[in-house]
This record gives sequence, C-alpha cells and structure tokens, in this order.
Amino acid sequence: MSSNRDFSRDGTFLIDLTKCTGCRACQVACKQWNQLPAEHTEFFSGEGYQNPSAMSEYTYTRIKFRDYQKNGQHEFAFYKEMCMHCNEPACASVCPVGAFEKTKEGPVFYKDNRCIGCRFCMIACPFGVPKYEWSKALPLVRKCTGCLERVREGLHPACATTCPTAITYGPRDEMIELGKKRLFKNPERYVQKAYGYTEAGGTSVIYLTALPFEELGFKQVTKRALPEYTWEALRLVPGIFLTVGGGLSGLAWITHRRERLREELEKERAALAAEEEKEGRE
Amino acid sequence: MTNHWIDIQHADVIMCIGSNPAENHPISFHWVEKAMDNGGKLISVDPRYTRTSSKSDIYAQLRPGTDIAFIGGLINYALQNNSIHSEYVVNYTNAAFLVDEKFAFNDGLFSGYDRGNTSYDNSSWAYQMGKDGLPIRDNSLEHPQSVYQLLKRQYARYTAEKVCEITGTAIQDYLNVARTFCSTGRVGKAATIMYAMGTTQHTVGTQNVRSYSILQLLLGNIGIAGGGINALRGESNVQGSTDYALLFDSLPGYLKCPTYDNRDLAAYNDKWTPKTKDPKSANWWSNTPKYITSLLKAYWGDAATVENDFCYDYLPKRSGNYSFLKLMERLQGGGFEGLVLMGTNPIVGGPDVRSIALGLDNLNWMVAADLWETETSVFWKRPGVDPGKIDTEVFLLPAASSVEKSGSISNSGRWAQWRYKAVDPPGDAEGDAFIVDQWVKQLKKLYAKEGVFPDPIVDLAWDYGDGHEPDIDMVARECNGQFTRDIEIDGKTFKQGQQVPSFASLKADGSTLCGNWIYCGSYPEEGNMMQRRGTEDPGGMGSYHEWAWSWPVNRRIVYNRASVDLNGRPWNPQKPVISWNAITRKWDGDVPDGAWPPMSEDGSRSPFIMNAEGIARLFAAGLADGPVPEHYEPMESPMANLMSNQQSNPALDRPGRVDKSGLYYIATTCRVSEHWQSGTMTRNLPWLVELVPDMFVEMSEGLAKEKGINDGEMVTIISKRGSIQARALVTSRLKPFRVGDKLVEQIALPWHFGFNGPAKGDSANVLTEAIGDPNTHIPEYKAFMCNIKKGGLTA
Repeated sequence: MSSNRDFSRDGTFLIDLTKCTGCRACQVACKQWNQLPAEHTEFFSGEGYQNPSAMSEYTYTRIKFRDYQKNGQHEFAFYKEMCMHCNEPACASVCPVGAFEKTKEGPVFYKDNRCIGCRFCMIACPFGVPKYEWSKALPLVRKCTGCLERVREGLHPACATTCPTAITYGPRDEMIELGKKRLFKNPERYVQKAYGYTEAGGTSVIYLTALPFEELGFKQVTKRALPEYTWEALRLVPGIFLTVGGGLSGLAWITHRRERLREELEKERAALAAEEEKEGRE
Repeated sequence: MTNHWIDIQHADVIMCIGSNPAENHPISFHWVEKAMDNGGKLISVDPRYTRTSSKSDIYAQLRPGTDIAFIGGLINYALQNNSIHSEYVVNYTNAAFLVDEKFAFNDGLFSGYDRGNTSYDNSSWAYQMGKDGLPIRDNSLEHPQSVYQLLKRQYARYTAEKVCEITGTAIQDYLNVARTFCSTGRVGKAATIMYAMGTTQHTVGTQNVRSYSILQLLLGNIGIAGGGINALRGESNVQGSTDYALLFDSLPGYLKCPTYDNRDLAAYNDKWTPKTKDPKSANWWSNTPKYITSLLKAYWGDAATVENDFCYDYLPKRSGNYSFLKLMERLQGGGFEGLVLMGTNPIVGGPDVRSIALGLDNLNWMVAADLWETETSVFWKRPGVDPGKIDTEVFLLPAASSVEKSGSISNSGRWAQWRYKAVDPPGDAEGDAFIVDQWVKQLKKLYAKEGVFPDPIVDLAWDYGDGHEPDIDMVARECNGQFTRDIEIDGKTFKQGQQVPSFASLKADGSTLCGNWIYCGSYPEEGNMMQRRGTEDPGGMGSYHEWAWSWPVNRRIVYNRASVDLNGRPWNPQKPVISWNAITRKWDGDVPDGAWPPMSEDGSRSPFIMNAEGIARLFAAGLADGPVPEHYEPMESPMANLMSNQQSNPALDRPGRVDKSGLYYIATTCRVSEHWQSGTMTRNLPWLVELVPDMFVEMSEGLAKEKGINDGEMVTIISKRGSIQARALVTSRLKPFRVGDKLVEQIALPWHFGFNGPAKGDSANVLTEAIGDPNTHIPEYKAFMCNIKKGGLTA
C-alpha cells in the first residue's frame, strides 16, 4: 500500500545542524507555546549541557549534545530530536482508534479525545517519539503537535520561529531544494545526504549535518514507510481468511456431512427396527 | 563597534578572540554564519573549545591573559611578510610620524617609568614636532624613529616560536591563523575582530584592544565593510549606558568628567579640548565647548547663563578613581553610609565577593531596584552570617522589565532602537524613570527648604510632563537637543523650542541645550528616528538606514573615509561603504564621516576625525601603561614573563605573582547561553533552570583522572580569596597548556550562580581578585590560579 497523497507542499522543517549552536531556544519556545512545565534536573544528563534526560510528556523536543574527540579533533555538536511528522506515520497506522492523523498541512496530529492509552504507537514509532503520561491516573500519549494551530494561522511552529540560525520552515519540496543547494554550495561542510528525505518513507523534518548521522545520535531507520511493513502481513489476511477459512469450513462441512449421514443412517435403522417390532406383535 | 552586526556578513575572515558569540549572542551569530555561507572563514581563539569554536574553521588554544603575545605575533607576521595595506598605513595612520628621540623601550618598560609610584611620565612618548606645529613625518617609513620602525622593532621579538611558548598554542594552528588573518592585508579583503570580556577583563585589557587596533590598521581593515573592531556588548543596553555616562570618568557622549583642578568652564575647555595645527585634521573633539555648554543648558535650563558659566560650578568634580574596584575598597573601609543599586548584583558579579559582602555589612542603608530579589539585596541572609549582627536598612524597589516601559535600547552596533511599552508592570513595580523622577522631585522639595548647597538640585531643569512617570519622549527630545532661543544658522532660522537637527548646529553660547551630543539627530522635528522600521536597503550592504537610528548622525560604519583611496574610490568596489560622486560632489552610500571631498582635493579632511592628528594611532601616548602593547603575565600566573623581567603590568600598584608550587591550575570565568550575568533573572525562570540547574566547573579529562574526579561529582575549588564547590563537568574541550616544560591544567567557571533564588549555587567570583586594568579599572576576572579538591566544601 502506498499513499496517493502528494507531500510536496507539506509544512516541513529543514534543520541545518551545522548552524545549530545548541542554545536550546527551541526547547524553551516549545514549552512556552504548549505551556509545558519545566522538569526537575540535576547537573546534566548526557554529554555537554544536555537536559532533560529524555523527551517526555513534558518535553516535546530536546537538543542532544555530542562532546568528544575524533582523530585528535574536537567535536562539539548538537542534534534536535523531535517528532519527525512522517509522510506515512507508523503511529497512525497502528493506532486502533485512529487517534493520529497526518494532516493536509503536514503535521501528524494527535487527538487525545480518541486515545485509549494502549501505547501501540510507542512501540511502532521507529524514532521513539510518543511519550506516555506516566504521571497521570488516566494517561494519554504526548508528542510534538507540529504547532498545527500556528501553521493553520499562517505562522511557523514555535521552535522554527525562535531559532535564529538552524531551522527553516516551508513546503517540503522547497525545503528539499534548499537542502540540496546547501549540500552543493559547501560540500566540504556537510555529509552529502539529508536525513528525512527517504527515512521511514520520507518525513517532514529534514536534517543536514557535518558529522555522520549515527555519530550525532540519529537512529538508523528503514527507507520504507513503516506502514508498508505491516501491510506486507496485513494484505495477506483476506486471502488467508478466505483460503484457510474456506478450506477449514469445507473440511468441517465434509466432516459434519459424514456425521449427518451416519446419524441419518442410524435414524433409518432405528425406524426400520421399530417398524419390524410393531409388525411382529401384530 | 566600529561596524555593526549586519555588516559582519561581509567579512572574509572573522576572528573571535576573547569572545564566544555563538554562546552569548546566539541571535546575532546568524550574521557570522552568513559570512561563512559567503565563503568567509571563522577563527576561534579561546582557552576552551566553545560553542563558537564548534562552528569555526580554525581553532587556536590560548592561555588566559596572553592575548597581547598572540596578536603581537600576528603584527610581526604582517610586518615581516609585508602583508600590510601600505597606502592606507602611510596616509591614514601615524606610521610615518617620528617619535621623540628620548623614547625608549627596555626590558619590558617604556621610557619615563617611575617605580616608586608605578606610573609613567609620558613626555618622551610625544611626536617630534616641526616648526609648523605639525608632527614630523617620513612617508618612506624608513626613519628609525618613525612609528613604523618602532613597531617593527617592538614586535620583532614576538616570533611565532616565542609566542607559542607563551600562549601554549600549537605552532601549526598559530601559523594557520596568521596566514588566514593577515591575508586580508590585501586590498579588497576584509577581516573583523569580534571581542568581548575575554579581552577586556584583564590587567592588560586596554592594551589587548590596542593590539587589535594596530593589527587592523596595518591590514587596512578599519572603516571598510566586513572589517573593524567589533566589541560585543554584554547587556542589551550597556552601549546606551556608557553613551549616557554610566562610567565615573565621563559625561554623556563621552565628554570628560571634570576633575577638581578644572576650576571653571574655561579651564575645563582648555584642559579637555584637543588642539591641532593641521588644516587637514577635523579634530572633532575641538567642538567640546559646544557640547559641554549644551549639556549644562540641558541640566540647568534657564538657570544656566553666560554670566554663571552655565552653572558649571554645579557639576561634581572628581578627585580620583571612583571605579567599581575603588568603591568596593572604600565600602570595606566603612566609607559609605548608603548604597543605591539599580539592576546590579555586586555580591555575585564583583571580584572577591567575600570582601564585598563584608563591605555591605557596614552600610546604614541600601536601596536595591530589581525585578527579583538579588543576592546583594539579601546580603544579610547569606550563608554563614547572623542577620542579627547586621544593622543595614534595606529597601527593595520592584522594577519594571524591558517590555513594561518604553524607551530606546542601543545595541553593540550603536543602533538605538525604540521599544514601546507592551504591558503594565505587575503589582507595585515601576520603571527606572519613575524611580529616579520620584527621587528628584522629593530631593527638590527637601532642598527647597534647607541644605548646605541646595542650588544644583533646586535649579535642576526637570520637567517631563505631569503623568505618573516621566514622558520618555520628552526625555528623548531633550537628549536630542533643542534651541533655547530663536536663532539663524547658515541662513536658516530656528525657533526657540525646536529640535536641533544635528550636532553641527550645537553652540557654545547657550543657544542650544542637548542632553547627549552623540544622540543629536535621533529625535529631530520630523519625529523619533529611533522608532523607524524601514527595511529599504538600496545599496544592498545591509545598512538599512531607514531602520531605527545609529549614532553618530545615523552613520553605520565609523571612520568610513578610510574605506576609500585618496581619490574617494572604494578600496573594494564590490563592497563599497562610501564613494565619491564627482558629479553631485557628494558621497554615495553610508553617511560619510564628514562630507568633505576626497583627500586628493582641497578642503579635505583625514579620516580619523576623533583624533587631534586626524589619523589613526598605531602609537598612542595617552594610556597609563604604554604607547604600544607589551605582553605581561596576569597577576596570578603559572610562569615567569618570557618577554621581559617585568612580570605584570608596571602601572599596577602591586606586582604580580608566579605560582611555583605546582599546586595551582589556570582558572577563567565564562558564561553559558542559558543563563545571563549574575543569574538574578535566569535562575528565576524554570525553563532555563531546567537546562542548566547547577553550578559546575569544566575541567579536562586529564585533570579529572589525576584527581580521581568523575563527571558530575562535587568538587571544591580554592583560590587565595576563598573556596567554592561545584559539580565537575569533565570534557575533552579543555586541554592543559604547555608552560615551559610542564603541562598546566585549566578550569573554567560560569559566574551565573549565587546563594539566593530557586536555583542556587556557589559564586565563581568568590575566587577572583580585586585588581584591574590601570586605564579602565575593569577587574581581572579572566585569568587567575586555583586549586581543585575532590569532594564538596563539607567533605
């Protein structure tokens, strides 16, 4: 199953990590827009000044720091983790109640009034994005909304608006073009590949980096849309249903027919015997 | 800044030394990245590999306090390799001037040094003067007593090898920096130096900046697009603050504060108005009498007349050094009854804060105006003291934030941008203008009845409307300046009360008043120029002349007459700042630094109009510690000075010390993007505390291993001033320095933490020393020595 939908005008983030200074204005802008509380932190949780220790119900985006040496060279680099707003999101595909929607504007939007808290989305997402409200008695799932309300009003998402250097926001085909231009103009500065162009079948968050993706902390993810994998199995279901089900039903009918025939034979014999007995007494 | 933020995109090479703009000016850093997108190279020179270094093309490690050695070596490289812009140097600097035959330099000291009072008699630093009253020149630059040859001799001692021994830089990195930076000596190439507190907060801070001037002038990088010396100011309106005389030795517009021996206005003008006989020198400070008189008229209005010297007697006259360091010294001696603190937190931000705290205990009263309760305002609650033993009465005035009041904010690029009031301040909070206005009104009432010398207060012209708080537009209009009577200038008539169009119309006869001559033109009759938000940029150079207003007279790049050759043609026609239009006989482009024609024509003027000589000073006799920079070690240093036997700055009142114990490590203070200054605002904001919650100290992996310290563990840091504890952040971004045949480790401490507020931590400034630069008196926060112990203070 592949979508007939055109993704080229979807609102997309182009995140040029060679321009990111790890300032965390994006983390703060997200919390301010979504009115999320600050988490309790101590010291730092990871390399550099990284905080908090993971995305959560209170933290929809986070800068991961890398602070190490490679071949005697200093590396101090930053990676913004967030919902990838996939073209064909796995979360939407597995959700039994349809609580996720790939909106026409681009963001994958979560509708909490439908959620039953089953957490299939958390298992399905290859990026580990949806987070659970462990703090609540009736927990729902939380993740980046793509600032859909802002986008619908003609604004850009909060993080993209605040970022002074690294994030550009616009239609997907334009962001891909811009990304390609940058890779071409300064080839020595970039890994000659954008992350998110084809990952998971293509996403609305596209990254440019100087360091190899795995070194920065990106997950290695299949190029196929995740729903395609489940489709591999699911598409066989009707066939299996019909052949196996039909076959077993057929077998059952044959077995039952024998039974039925035997029963009928028994009944006939019994009836015959009864009649003979009646005739004998007369 | 000589240039401005947006102009940085035009640089071919950017050197960030003593600054970390990706960290501390993350928004403006966009322009550095733009320069790099255009092919520009970023050089980061820093003791640590910082956020700025992570974006740089070249990183060079620098031992704290060795900037003069580093730059001295670049000056030497430029001179030896002749990478200089010769025509610029000969015509626009004092390279060709001859210096007094008695001038000498020997073993770290210039001629005229008095060891007894650790100061210089600079009479031997004067130019040789001809009979025409002009400095004698040798335009071939070959005369041994020419500034150019003196410079060559001075910096020939700064070979790359010697420099790297001092700075600890790897020589291949150093030569890479030298080649790259000095390549901009070529006409048509531009380099800019971006500097901040890492440059200034040293006992040689002033000479650090002087070294940048010399290098940039030799390369012809001042006055051109993408060039300049760009100071990154550390607060959004500190530029405005210094423009308006926050510093003790100035009056608004950087006029000199009168000293006790300037008995009257004539004596003041005589002392502080520079003179020159050079017809090609505009000598702009020769207008001093116009500016001081106009200022006095602004202060005392109609009470200031020709007869009473425009109330000059009312101005306080300083009799010494009233710098922050001296104030804190006097505070500790019980020399103040009271202290007023407007948005400042010395018990976290000053050096040697333990001593400052003891000084505060002596106060009878304190007034603190701030948005939050600062550590200084609750100094009596600090750990380890009994509040019962402190008799100070403290008044905390809640203050309005920048969005709760209107007014202008001047950025590093001298752009004054008007802010409107977005919301009312909460509760009882008020803007600073309200607070000061109330004080003046109450003082006037009190002094109307009694007082030893009430006149300066009673006669103070103070009328900013009848509203709850002063009408800021009225203040801004007064700072621009007005005519005090009907007058005719060059055929044009102005009426009393009209706004002065520019400082060219200010007078010394009392017909103009002006609160700040450099802001004259910011609020003319047409309206508030600082409020403009025009985005037109017809020249395409990013000048945006319709956006806000920059001083002086909306000029974006100062000294821009040096951006053209003697015929008025831009050195770089691709990136012109100004260019002479022979048809209109005017300059196209930026506001020219004087409308006079090019230097090849009659009636012209030299480009550096703020100097009496009209040209830029490679050799500058007016500073306390020397006419050219010389490397001295910081007050606390791991090594003896390799350049001479003069260990530390000779103009300081006590000598520096070399640590030979090997127990101490090189320490510096630093900042993070997530917190600001002493943390009074940012440590009260949960979203920022979440990012950086605790005081920490950065150290190398080697030092951590040596001491058995794990990442995140509590450690104690000790200096001669005191001890603090912090969490250890172990990182490969810090490396030890080669000092002689040893490796000496370094640590870096953010100074944002204090004992008060939701996020507490020990203050780095417990450790720093109360000693500063002999010219500016800015404390040496950036280079000192510390010991480190595993475990916290209670361990």
